[in-house]
Amino acid sequence: MALAATLVVAVGATTMRYTTVVKEMSVLFNGQVMVTSKDAIVVQAIPIFGGMLPQNFTIKELEGIEGIERVIPVLFVVNTTFSGLGSMPVNFSMGIPVEDWQAVLGPMPLKGNSGHFPTNESGSEVVVGASMADQYNWVVGSRIVLHERELTIVGVLDTKMALLNRCIIMPLKLAQTVHNNVGNINIVAVKPAQGYSQGNLTSAIQRKVSYVKALTEEERNDVVQPIIAQIESWNVGMQTIILCMSLILVMMVTVMSVSERRRDFATLDAIGAPLHFVFSVVILETSLIGVFGALLGIGFGSLAALLIASVYTNIPLALFFPSIFEIVPPLYMVQMFAAIVLVCCLGGIVPALSAMRMRVAEVLRAEY
Amino acid sequence: MRIKTLDLTKTYQVGSSEITALDKVNLEVGEKSFTVIVGPSGAGKSTLLNLVGLNDHPTSGKILIDNMDTSQFSAGERRKIRLSRMGFVFQTFNLLPTLSAVENVELPMALAKKSRKEQREATVRLLEMVGLGHRLAHRPKELSIGEMQRVSIARALANNPEIVIADEPTGELDSKTAKEIITLLVEISKKGKKTVVVATHDEKVIEAADIVYAIQDGKVKPEG
Repeated sequence: MALAATLVVAVGATTMRYTTVVKEMSVLFNGQVMVTSKDAIVVQAIPIFGGMLPQNFTIKELEGIEGIERVIPVLFVVNTTFSGLGSMPVNFSMGIPVEDWQAVLGPMPLKGNSGHFPTNESGSEVVVGASMADQYNWVVGSRIVLHERELTIVGVLDTKMALLNRCIIMPLKLAQTVHNNVGNINIVAVKPAQGYSQGNLTSAIQRKVSYVKALTEEERNDVVQPIIAQIESWNVGMQTIILCMSLILVMMVTVMSVSERRRDFATLDAIGAPLHFVFSVVILETSLIGVFGALLGIGFGSLAALLIASVYTNIPLALFFPSIFEIVPPLYMVQMFAAIVLVCCLGGIVPALSAMRMRVAEVLRAEY
Repeated sequence: MRIKTLDLTKTYQVGSSEITALDKVNLEVGEKSFTVIVGPSGAGKSTLLNLVGLNDHPTSGKILIDNMDTSQFSAGERRKIRLSRMGFVFQTFNLLPTLSAVENVELPMALAKKSRKEQREATVRLLEMVGLGHRLAHRPKELSIGEMQRVSIARALANNPEIVIADEPTGELDSKTAKEIITLLVEISKKGKKTVVVATHDEKVIEAADIVYAIQDGKVKPEG
């Protein structure tokens, strides 16, 4: 039971974690149309693969379209490292014009209320996600080297968003220089003017600028939602299968246990124990199996989920411990605990009914 | 408690053949008597005690308890009688192995919803009466077989029943321990003023009986 619970919690929490990360991405560019290269593959608001856009030309083209209030060029880069298991994204860089921080990130506080967002477009100031800061012991004033360019950390983002926690956010021009993409961007956030819908604007953008793809918030979700829904369905399906197998296992083990103790149950019947007492004895036993199995399973499963997250992100395991309840939310733990105990109770019903039918005359006759 | 059987018959189906374990048995167990049922193995003693103890249903015939036809009792009523008016002593003791001596004796009282205090006081008194005042917390596997049977007797007396039904209570015991157990059952009948029915083929038990029924091939006749 503990093993099944471990599997359910580890896989469930990991799947939930990654679907949450993907869902969180939709918070970025809230209320804005997102423009990317036509060949880009976009997950929520993030182009994970695809070409660059010439900044000045594209911005000029977009500014000429009626119904646009504001255009923000962004460079988003996925930095990959090799963790031994293959190349995995462990951090991201986001270049945003210094005057547009708020429009892209929203009201984002800095950790400890110290530091500030970079103010000089060509300077070397950056803000970093808290997860990266914790991992590398970065604080305000720390200096880091990215692609041979020395950068100064002027703030640590105080956010629960996994993506931004692993992000180095810098002025656009600095990002273009650091990542060797001067004059290029890969996202344009377009804010519609009052009275213009995102839908009308995307059509107008795609008509005028042939090499871009414009996506409304709804369209960005539409791309990913079916995939997330399918992953979640698979997750639920797998959990259901594991729990059903556990139910059968608990039932078989308890049937054997009841069968081995048939004389005890028959004795209970002989001395006048009410049927509900015999029933409740067996259900209590299977419930206890569930309680201990669930506690062990949730403990080991949570540890396994942290381990998986550590291996996948190349972040040391110890750094995940403080955020264990973000990776395995308490509500999920409670739900799993309840589900496992319930499964064990259900698994005890058939053996309990069998125990209720034990009669001393039959049992002793069978023994002699 | 007075028990009377009228043409009590019990048959079992074994494969295609029918075995008659009891054949029209008529007997009477008087109030506060020490009644012994003797017979060889397989004669039907245990079957008779299971029927009299309301642990089984006859194929035909009647069992009357205090002149009431037990076939009219519901399963719940039979269970209630077994719990509060009858006590059972089995050849193999049938103690619950995970419970201590005290807990085994307390169990019928707990099922009868007696208070914790009442349970503990009565249990200690009963275990002291059967000579096990020093073995209260021991589990069955930590007791000798004689001690296990004593715990079993104490459990049978837990709810102060009117009748104690003992099926081969000395069957597993050496002669010395068997004698002690017989003495204890006789005391329960005589001093405790309870009806005791014992199925046995132990001659020493027969000597102590008020009435003896001999059973052979499912048929019963009084011996004296």
